[in-house]
Order: sequence, then structure tokens, then C-alpha cells
Amino acid sequence: MNDSSPSSSNGGPNLAAALFHSAYPRFILFGLLIATLPLFSGLGLMKSSTLNYIGNVLVYAVAALGLNLLLGYSGLISLGTAGFMGLGSYIAAYVSKDMGMSFWAALATAVLIPTLIGLLIGLISLRIEGIYLAIATLCVSEILLKSFEQADSITGGMQGKSVSYPVLFGHAFNRSSTYLMLVVVLTLVMMLTHSFVNGQKGRALHAMRGSEVAAQAMGVNLLQYRLIAFSLATAYSALSGVLYVYFVKFSYPSVWNLNLSLYVLAAVVIGGLRSIYGTVVGTFVVWAVPDLILKKLPVVGAINGLPYIFNGLLIIVVIMFAPQGISGLWLSIPAMKKKKLPPAGKEAV
Amino acid sequence: MSNELGTVLQLFMRSLETGSVYALAALGIIIIYRTSNIVHFAQGSLGMFNTFVVTYMFTSFRLPLWASVLCGVAAAVGIGFLVDFLIIRRAKRVSSLAKQIITLGLIMVFLGLAPMLFGVDPLSLPRFIQSGDIGLGRASISYNAILNISLGLVLMGILFYVLQKTKMGLAVRTTASNESTARLMGVPTGLVTLAAWALAGVLGCLSGVMIAPTTTVTTSLMDAVQVNALFGCVLGGFQTFYGPVLGAYIIGVGRNFLVYYVSSIWGEQIMYLFILIFLIFRPNGLIGRKFVKKV
Repeated sequence: MNDSSPSSSNGGPNLAAALFHSAYPRFILFGLLIATLPLFSGLGLMKSSTLNYIGNVLVYAVAALGLNLLLGYSGLISLGTAGFMGLGSYIAAYVSKDMGMSFWAALATAVLIPTLIGLLIGLISLRIEGIYLAIATLCVSEILLKSFEQADSITGGMQGKSVSYPVLFGHAFNRSSTYLMLVVVLTLVMMLTHSFVNGQKGRALHAMRGSEVAAQAMGVNLLQYRLIAFSLATAYSALSGVLYVYFVKFSYPSVWNLNLSLYVLAAVVIGGLRSIYGTVVGTFVVWAVPDLILKKLPVVGAINGLPYIFNGLLIIVVIMFAPQGISGLWLSIPAMKKKKLPPAGKEAV
Repeated sequence: MSNELGTVLQLFMRSLETGSVYALAALGIIIIYRTSNIVHFAQGSLGMFNTFVVTYMFTSFRLPLWASVLCGVAAAVGIGFLVDFLIIRRAKRVSSLAKQIITLGLIMVFLGLAPMLFGVDPLSLPRFIQSGDIGLGRASISYNAILNISLGLVLMGILFYVLQKTKMGLAVRTTASNESTARLMGVPTGLVTLAAWALAGVLGCLSGVMIAPTTTVTTSLMDAVQVNALFGCVLGGFQTFYGPVLGAYIIGVGRNFLVYYVSSIWGEQIMYLFILIFLIFRPNGLIGRKFVKKV
């Protein structure tokens, strides 16, 4: 996520140029761009169902950004993304519907509780070798999934749980305004992530990625920073779950299985580690491309299980031949124009 | 024999049967881990796919069950070769984390291939021995369960014998301990990893064939097996070949007893919680040694 931005420091006279070079206005511009998409569907240039796919991409992009913080900087895999997303969605649904509390209360509890659980899991598993986090989060995800199915009184069991669009600032939202809410949240999360990785904690994480031993020698507490990365990833997934339940208006146990966690991982790997825009593009590739493009193709579109094959092969190909993902390919375009070799992606993951 | 004891005995035998399924899958995972240094998350998915091959041969081509299983084993060997030859071998340069992500990608590929080749309708696979029970006091156990238990034990017995007592086993153990040194010493490490992937595939296929009659053959057939086999590895420690097998049996027994005596709904979750808590006290598993990280 090192979108190298000279930003505030250059202070040139040209305001427009400064704005363009600074990262935050670009995020806002990006947000505005996605926010205009419903207009196209209003004009009939885009199918209304397409907007649902894009909305889902925005929801999952939040979780993917969290996982990218964890995987990109601490090299740890979490397979609990789906479980924490599900937990966030059910808590939000329960607090807002059954307890009749406000959107903000639902949001706060739905993010806080999974984050605390994540912190606990992290404390247990991060003291050991890194691979245990993947297995421990898989374990927790299984426990959560089973609980979603069994705890009828809270989750609605197999029937699932429904909520209505959020009520915010005294307005009852509809589909378009909920979509706008997703855009705003994603933009904020992107900005937050940018400022985090470029801040003091982000620099410590960078150091950890370079060499854990060197970072330790510089006074970086490995456990503490791994915990920070993992809690952030958990908080992002929970937030993503909250967004999901308000946009889709339903939460079923079958959604929150291991396959979803793998999809999020695919989005991160395909988009490129440590790249904010790459992650969003990766999420689009993983969720929207199979449904919006591949299914329309003549022969290929009829294959059962096509999205899985597409994303699975893409992960493997990216890891083997382009470890920096889409963002790495994008960044190597100028280099190729200058007839130089593209930066060899040997440092891999 | 008292009623209570009969129940315990029956539960124990049934646990041994599920334990064998988990243990075979876990053995596949640990063989890959030791030879290729990858935590093999796709062990269950590969097993699921090969079980689909068996079931498809059985239902569509009307082959006898043993011939179908042979086809499945052949498919497992072939796919194992392909995975190692096309992917793992070519990914030598990438980090072990990236290799794990590759196995996660493999899960998705086989999840998609199974419905593409075999259709989306759930299939079913019969047991090897259709009927018949042995009475043990008040408990009874089916011939098929005894076949499964003994098949698991015999297979593992042979494998451990080969690993510990033969030259082939020595090659595997040398590769496991240090791949580049082993290569310098003239051990054909390429052949070893090739064989390891084929073997893991076969073990996964057999565990799939064992578990299939208890449910329907769908893409989620092996999810529970994969998860429990991984936890078996964690419980037993990743440093030995027999630790994960032991861990898998413990999980099989523990799960069934918790489900029967504590709660049929929450038993499995309680088991997983126990494993998490166990990790706090013995982070390297029952038989694990401490990881020593060299700079």
C-alpha cells in the first residue's frame, strides 16, 4: 500500500498539481467516480443487477483491504475472514432489528465484538509460528459457522436473518443511498489504510517485512505489530460483514464458509500485495468478472463452477509468474515503455 | 457387560473409524509438509475430487466398487504427479507462504472442476461390505467399520515401516530434514516429492471413499475431514510423521465422546476450543519440538 506519494511535503505553487500528487484527493476522486455508476443504470446504460455486483465488490473490498494489511505486511494468512464477516453481519442484524437500536450502535458492537475475539485468537496463535494463525482462524471460522447454524434465537438458523436498509440521520435509506453509503465507507477505509501504512506503525510493519530480526533489533515488538495487523484485518472483515447485511438485507450461514475466505485471499493476491487500488481491482476481478463477463461468453459461460476455476487458476498463475499481482503489472508498464526490463518480482510474497 | 460399558465400547470403535479417516488425510498433509514444506490445504479437495472419480466410475460405468476405487487411486496418482510437476516444482523460487496460497488456489480449481466434470447432482457411494455386524456384548460394530479401521492401521503400518526401515524411506526422511543437502548427497529429491504428492493424493482418495457412504458425495464431502486432519497435525505437531496420525485419532475419539456425552450440537465446537486452549500450553503439539529459527 505504498502508493508513493510525495504529498504534502512538496508544497509547490501549483495547487492543482499538488492536489493531483496528494493521495487523499485521489481517493476522493476515485470514490466520486464509483459513486456516479448508479447514474448509468438510471440512464439505462447499465443493467440494474450490475449495480448489485458492483455493490458486493465494494463490500468485499473492505475485507480484502484488511487481509492485505495482514498478508502484505506480516506475511500471515487468516482463513477466518468469512467467520468474522458473518459474526459482524449477525450482530448488526440482531442489534438493529431485535434490540431496535440505532445504526451506529449496531455498527459499533458489530465491529467491536469480532475485533476483541480476533485479538484473543491472535494472542494465542501469534506467539507460535506464523502458520498456526491460518489453522487457528480456520478453527474459529468453523466454530462460528456451526454456531450461526445452531443459535436459532439470534441468527435465525438455516432460515437466515433479514434486516432492512439502514436508517441514518433520520432518513430511511433505499438501495441507491445504501450504495452511496458503501462508496463513502470504502473511500474512508482506503484513506484510513493509506494513512496507517504511511504512519509510524506502518513503517514498523514495513521494517518487519524486510527482516523480522532487524526490526526486532530496532525495537519493534513483533508480537505487538502482528497483533495490530491481525486486529485491523478482523475489524475490517467485521465492518465488511455489517455493510453486507445492510446492502444485501440478508445473512445466511451458508454464505460465511471457507470458500468466501479463499475468495478474499484471491482478491488480495490477484490485486497485488500492499496496493490499495490493486486490492479494489482484485476484488472486482474475483467477484464481478466471472458473473458479468465470463458467464456471457458462449461455451465457457455454460460451465458449472466456472468462477472457482477462473479464480483458482488466476491465484496460481499470479503467484508463479507475477507475484506483485495486477498492481505490479500496472507499475511495470512505464518501465516497459522505456525499453527497460520490468522489475523482476522475485521478492514474491 | 454393563450397558454403560457397551456404549463406551461402541463409541470407541466408531471413533476409531472416523479417526482412521482423519488419520489417513493427516498423513497425506504431513508427508507433503515434510517433503515440500507446504501446509497442504487442498488435501481434502483433492480427496473430494478423486472420490468423485470413484463414484462416477461406479454409477455411470457400472464398474464394481473395487475397480472404481482403483480408478480413483490411479486418478489420485496422476493428479498428484501433475500438481507437483506443473506447479510445485516450478514454484521453487517462491516463498513457502506463497506455496500455501497455491494450495488454496488448488482448492478453488478442484471445487470448480468437480461440478464441471461430474455434474451438480449429489451422488452416493455404497459401503464396501453392505451389511453384517459383530456383536461385542451389548455393542455391535459393522464389518465395514472393521474393514475401514484395519485398512487404516495396515496402510499406516506399511508406510511407517517403509519410512523407517527401507532405503526409500531414508530418502524421504533425508529430504524432509534438509532438501538441498539431500540433493547434494545424491538423493533424488525430485522423485521423492513426486511420490509424496501422489501418495498424499491416494491417502486423500481412500479417506474420501471411507467417509462417502455416511453422507452424499458433494463438493463439501471432505470439508470436515480437511479441517480435522489439519487440527490433527497441529495437535500432534508438525515435526514427526506419527504425531499427526496420533492427533487425528485423538480428535476422532474426543469428538465422538463430546458429541455423545456433552452436547450433540456443541460437541464439535467444544473440541475445537480444547485444541485452541491446548495450543497455549503446548504450542508445538504433543510430540513437537520447538521450532528453532536460524538467522
